[in-house]
Parts: sequence; C-alpha cells; structure tokens
Amino acid sequence: MKKVVIYALSTCPWCMKAKKYFREHDVPFEATDYDKADEATQQAIKADCKKHGEEMSFPFVIIDDNAVVGYAPEKYARLLKL
Amino acid sequence: MDPEVRKEQLKEMFLPLVDSLGYKLSPDSEIVDFLFEQEVQIEKEKGSPFCPCQGLSGEREHDMKLVCPCIPFHREHYDAMKRCWCGLYVHKDVEDPDLLPQISLKEFKMSKK
Amino acid sequence: MQEDSWVFAIDVDDMVDGQMKPISLDGQKIVLIRLEDEFYSISNKCPHMGCPLSKGTLKNDVIKCPCHDWQFNIKTGQFIAAKEITVTKYSTKVSDNKVFVNLEGGN
Repeated sequence: MKKVVIYALSTCPWCMKAKKYFREHDVPFEATDYDKADEATQQAIKADCKKHGEEMSFPFVIIDDNAVVGYAPEKYARLLKL
Repeated sequence: MDPEVRKEQLKEMFLPLVDSLGYKLSPDSEIVDFLFEQEVQIEKEKGSPFCPCQGLSGEREHDMKLVCPCIPFHREHYDAMKRCWCGLYVHKDVEDPDLLPQISLKEFKMSKK
Repeated sequence: MQEDSWVFAIDVDDMVDGQMKPISLDGQKIVLIRLEDEFYSISNKCPHMGCPLSKGTLKNDVIKCPCHDWQFNIKTGQFIAAKEITVTKYSTKVSDNKVFVNLEGGN
C-alpha cells in the first residue's frame, strides 16, 4: 500500500474533494490542515512543500515521494495505479 | 458585521478589479459562495481576505500577494490555467470551470521551458 | 478641460519634498503628493479595498497602500503589478505659488 499524505487548508474546497477522492477509493491517508496546525507542524509542512520545489498551494498530496499539487484525480489514480 | 453583508461587499469590491484583468466569477455558484464565505471568515481571523487555498508563510511580502484577488501577482500562471488557484475567478470565455485543472507553479514553470 | 474645475488645494510652501497630504476637495478624497518641485494628486481610496493611500508610504514615484501593499505609480495612477487597474489621477498645476487640482480628472 502506498503512503498518502495530504496537506490541506480547512477553508479549501479542493482539499475536501481530494480527501473525498481517497476515501471513496478506500485509500488510507494522513491529512493535516495547515491553517489549524501548530507552529512546529506548519514549519514542517512548509519545509516539505519547499523540498518538492513547490509553493504552499493546497491540496498538496504526497503519494510515496511524489507530490501532486492541486486537485487532480487522474494524477492520483496514475500514482496509485488504480 | 453580518457575514452575508460582508460577502456581498467583497464581491462588489473585487469584481471590477478582476473584470479589468479579463476574469469573471466562476459559473460554479456553489464554489463561489463557499469561497467568499471562507474569505469573510479568514478576514475576521487574520485581518485580510486571503486566498482560501494557499498557505500563508507569516512573511508579509509573501502573504500580501495572496490577498484576494491575487491574480495580479500570479498573472502568467493563472492565465495559463484560465483560472485563479482556488477557482473563484476564471477567464471570461470559460463556460465549464470543471474542465480547468489546477497546474502547480512548478509544473507551469517546467512547461514554459 | 474646463477652467472652473480647477480647485485650490494648498500653498506650495505648505508641503515639503516627499510629503503626502490627504485633502478633501468638493467632497472628493484626494492625496496630494509633492515630489521635488512637482505636485501630483490621486484618489485617496485604494481601488482594492478602499484603504487611505495617504497612510501608506512613498518611494520615488510609487505609493504603497498601508493595507495590502498594493503599489501605484503616482504619475500615471497605474497599479504596478497590473497596469489595467488604476487609481483615479487628477491633473495638478501650480500658479502664484498655489497648487490647484483639476477635479474633472480621471486617468
């Protein structure tokens, strides 16, 4: 099973759609809302986005080590080999 | 202030600005309504109606470029997507916003090379 | 340009180089700016969210809004990040050591 991490914002509708996608496809994921996270978690998310060469644009989905920025069901499916 | 009133005020302030940049409100009124609702809430908490879909870094120079409408500061990127990142605004000729995928800044920059 | 739309704003000596001054002329809120020996006037309302530009900062010919840092060229009224967006700009002239603003303005 691939590891799926979702960085999101509580105010972002595309983040909700992304989470829904993974739930509907029975893919477990770890999700964190950046805006509701504590300072240390925020710093870690910021660093992780930067590590992938991306801005903090949400949803920020990491499937194994591949970052998909934005709501992109086809890209999720490709990486999950669904 | 009544959030519904503020929502309308933000809309009234921002529409002429995005209009002059070639954008209009997304035809997806449900998303539009939801996003403005978030902006009102964000403005109440953080003082400005920041983009509901992009993260604030805490650095003023970075964050002020995410106050709605943030199109002027991300023009080339958004023009390529024909939408702003959160999808509140789309190019005037767009009829079906669901056909417009989000392209990350990194992807956009790579596509230009 | 109509002669009678020129309104007296301030005496030249009442402003120093680099100074910004909010004034109300015939009910219009304007920010008057002195840059060396030239005077410029633009609407004091930022086209973004209506914040008073006079409370912002001036660097050369660019005024920065105090609220969200939107920057405008005071000579053209153009928003630096997107020239399609403008703040209303008024013509200004000096006569007999007095500054006049033309309220018929517009960019």
